Amino acid sequence: MIQHGYEMDFSKQTFSVILYGAPGIGKTTLAMSDGNMGADTLLIDLEHGVSRTNPVHRMNANILSASTYEEVLKDLETDAAKQAKNIVIDTAGSLVDYLKDWALRTKPDAKTKTGAFNGLKGFGYVKSELESFVNRIKTVMNKNVIFIFHCDEKADKDGNPIQRLRCEGSFRNTVWTGIDFGAYIQMLGNKRYACFTPEDEFFAKGCHGIAGHIEIPNLKDGVPNDFLAKLFDSARKTMAEENDAVVGQRNQYEKIMAGVKEMLEGVTDADTANACMKAIMEMDHALTSKKEAGMMLNAKCKTVGLRFDPKAKAYVPDGDQK
Amino acid sequence: MKTKITKTLIESWQYTFDCAEGYEDEAMEDFLATLKREPKEPTEAMINGTTFENQCYALANDPQAIPEKWVNGTRKVAEIIRGGQFQVPVSCDLTIAGRDIWLYGICDVVKAGTIFDVKFRNKSLGSTDVYGKYLDCSQHPIYLKALPEASRFIYLVSDGDDLYTEEYNRSNSKSVEYYVLNFLSWLQSSPELMKIYEERWAVE
Repeated sequence: MIQHGYEMDFSKQTFSVILYGAPGIGKTTLAMSDGNMGADTLLIDLEHGVSRTNPVHRMNANILSASTYEEVLKDLETDAAKQAKNIVIDTAGSLVDYLKDWALRTKPDAKTKTGAFNGLKGFGYVKSELESFVNRIKTVMNKNVIFIFHCDEKADKDGNPIQRLRCEGSFRNTVWTGIDFGAYIQMLGNKRYACFTPEDEFFAKGCHGIAGHIEIPNLKDGVPNDFLAKLFDSARKTMAEENDAVVGQRNQYEKIMAGVKEMLEGVTDADTANACMKAIMEMDHALTSKKEAGMMLNAKCKTVGLRFDPKAKAYVPDGDQK
Repeated sequence: MKTKITKTLIESWQYTFDCAEGYEDEAMEDFLATLKREPKEPTEAMINGTTFENQCYALANDPQAIPEKWVNGTRKVAEIIRGGQFQVPVSCDLTIAGRDIWLYGICDVVKAGTIFDVKFRNKSLGSTDVYGKYLDCSQHPIYLKALPEASRFIYLVSDGDDLYTEEYNRSNSKSVEYYVLNFLSWLQSSPELMKIYEERWAVE
């Protein structure tokens, strides 16, 4: 199905999220904040730590407990997994550990002669399996994915604290690439905040209007655990608004760039080049089309033996005296 | 008098504070060479960076091209930058603390309102934390200032195999003024260095 930009529907848009913070700060409870007491969530509990959460907030959740990676894959085939809107990986660092175990058992060259994990080969297998696992949940199953990470406090060069994701291998870097929201969870005074804008102490990521410190409600009796549900709704609303604002510019950009490409076909000498330059200057530009069109004209002129003379403000044959 | 400022100049100055312990003299020497605009011998890391970047451009321009090395990383970057314009010069005039400044840079890629910067890491992405590394980098504030039509700046960081991206926009970046003002204030405390700057970085 091909849609025009203005027809796009974001009401079912899914998101990928990173939540990280100190132990006991409430990452798992926050990850299950689907506003439906966990009914829309499948929690892949790789650290067997869900028992530490308040039973009220996981009353309806499906909890996947597995002792091997293969069991996780098998459980993803169940109806409970297929029906969930959100899949929580608790924790992503443990998933990497499960995958190391899987590689050790199933890939002979992931093991050294002494039976230890061969970092070089082994992490190659872990990486490619992890990519396919995450793609499957995000793209094929079309779920919201919430990655929980523990964090380690380290010190920067000047001794200031910095918070880092606890995870082996390149995943702790590459995971950010496909992420919509990444929040560091912290206590400020007696309130908890999800921080979506990077600071010197921690890295974070926000988009579609989600930014800065957002207070996490204190889940007293009767207060719904719906932080992520509300966050996703807000982001979807903003996406639709952003799309309305941008789609006109994007269409204009595409139109201009197509027009410029066509005009460049006709550039053969200084006269046609200068006429083309004038036409580009007079266009109703959008986004970076003016800059890009100028670069394209310059490149084309070089191929037909012209150069730009800044004094004359015109293209001249390259052989002309500078 | 108008003087030029580039991200290379600011970064080389910042490195005198950010370098690892024990490398302070080396960092200062490197900054002075940049300030004096002395030509530098490219290091192996710099050569690798340029080779990787050129491979990405070649594959972006011709999907049939076969990269000589770092195939996976090259493909991931080329896919993103295909259709963009490469090595785009950008500049703008500023007045900061009563000084006329000409901000100048060359964007690796400009495409539909986004500036991309291709970075090659000689160390594997698995060996070190990269996320957040560019938060304090002056490059994205400078380039977003010099190309106001662009709304996003994305670092494309590859070790030749994996790709890590870090995105900034105007709302989550420090201002150019912050970097330039700090740099000029620091220079002002050393009249000798300020003199070198004014001589070597003057523009017509």
